[in-house]
Amino acid sequence: MTDATRTHPSLDELRAEALEWGRKPRARGSWYVTEHMVRAMRAYGWTIVVGAFGQPILYLLGLGLGLAALIQTDIDDGGQPVPYLVFIAPALLMTAAISVASEEFTYPVMAGFKWRRYFYGFNASPLSSPQIANGVILGASARMFIAVAAYYLFIWVFGAVPNPATGWISIAVGVLAGVSFGIPLMAYAASIEDDKGQFALVQRFIFMPMFLFSGTFYPLETLPGWLQWIGWISPLWHASELGRMLTYGSVDAPAAGSHLAYLLVLAGVGYLLGRRIFERRLAK
Amino acid sequence: MTLATASDTTRRRGGVRALWAGNPQAVVQRGLLAARSSSWIVVLSGFFEPVFFLASMGIGLGALIGDVQTSAGLDVPYAAFIAPALLAVSAMNGAIYDSTWNVFFKLNYGKLYEGMLSTSLGPLDVALGEILYALLRGLLYATGFMIIMQILGLNLAPTAILALPAVLLIAFGFASVGMAITSYMKTFQHMDWINFVLLPMFLFSATFYPITVYPEPVQVIVQALPLWHGVELIRGLTTGALSAGMLWHVLYYAVMIGIGLVFTTKRLRALFLD
Repeated sequence: MTDATRTHPSLDELRAEALEWGRKPRARGSWYVTEHMVRAMRAYGWTIVVGAFGQPILYLLGLGLGLAALIQTDIDDGGQPVPYLVFIAPALLMTAAISVASEEFTYPVMAGFKWRRYFYGFNASPLSSPQIANGVILGASARMFIAVAAYYLFIWVFGAVPNPATGWISIAVGVLAGVSFGIPLMAYAASIEDDKGQFALVQRFIFMPMFLFSGTFYPLETLPGWLQWIGWISPLWHASELGRMLTYGSVDAPAAGSHLAYLLVLAGVGYLLGRRIFERRLAK
Repeated sequence: MTLATASDTTRRRGGVRALWAGNPQAVVQRGLLAARSSSWIVVLSGFFEPVFFLASMGIGLGALIGDVQTSAGLDVPYAAFIAPALLAVSAMNGAIYDSTWNVFFKLNYGKLYEGMLSTSLGPLDVALGEILYALLRGLLYATGFMIIMQILGLNLAPTAILALPAVLLIAFGFASVGMAITSYMKTFQHMDWINFVLLPMFLFSATFYPITVYPEPVQVIVQALPLWHGVELIRGLTTGALSAGMLWHVLYYAVMIGIGLVFTTKRLRALFLD
């Protein structure tokens, strides 16, 4: 008799046990997903390392120093004359973060929902769908942080940071730039049911024009008026402007505030949208 | 004795016939048919990349830089300096993407070539067919870009029209070598290394500024890379500064195509027939 009660616990006991098992994943779910995303990156770990360290050197040598040899006069950046290398370095740093974002918030999201369906696996455990979205964001941010920190190190060594006292803050701005572009992209990626090459189009018609027309290589005012709007709506331009203020050491509070606000709004609206899309799709 | 020799020759003849059925157009046709079911806008979008670069750099940097001296000693506007380079770069990129990503998928996932090789087609048909299809697409993009250059007045001489066959030559060179290299790749992660080779070539091959900004030893390295020869060849043609030295660029690509084709055929043969 006593044996039978031991092998058949009551429903309440079972429920309590199940809840006990689920308690930790419920509380720390975002971090578990983050851990998965970061571990998954080990499959292409060398790409990340070489990309994070190789790309900055190439771009700084190729565009920074090479073009600087042609553009020997200082760039007039909003009334402040700066050498060409100093001008483009922060913009290249922000570009690095955004290009990591355009990788991490597209195919891994598609794989999680469609190809390898691991998001559904997570969702079958006590993890909630917002936690899955959080994990994707945090995992990508970890990679962005490495890329941006490496970039900052290089531009500092190359002498492109006149004011390191505030310059290092551009690392944080870099991660913010990445998420402000990446989270809305994640929301879009999560909404795609059929892969018809949408990410190639995002790369060509959103990332590329943003990179080329956001005042990365020259002040935005150099462009004719009908092209300047691309910069105004582009997170890259806002982040680059912030990065420039920080590395030059001349922060103009109202302008910096508005750039910061724009980036935060993009990331925030993208997050709310992305969470809803994740919840809906995983509930299917 | 005589019997053994006879059977030897038949085997050898069979080996050659297995490489080449003289029908690469079947592979091209298959590519065209398959293109119908893929998204046309993705195919079309490849054309825009060099155009965006030209617009951004030509307008913005052009205003900062003004005129630039080419290797032939001509002073040309900055946009006219980079436009031919972008044409060469897009020929390279197009050829590499078509012969690496595309071939990688067909090789490892689609198992398309196994199917093709079980027909009368040989590895050389497959290699040439894929390359010809890539060239067709490259020609389309290049023609579009040349029209834009013409409208913007960046073709400075009538010889610019010769840039079209030059683009094909460049694309052929990259495609034939690219395909051979792809045959060694087993995972997606290997494919990333392609970018690590292409990016420095793109940035350093006198694309955005004359090669003379580098110290002498760096110049020698750049001049050994294929893209530099392509950029110089096309720039010479569009700016009209022709010289006998340009034949070296052509020769470079001719050798590259030869080596690439032999290499690719050998690899496809090793993968499927041996």
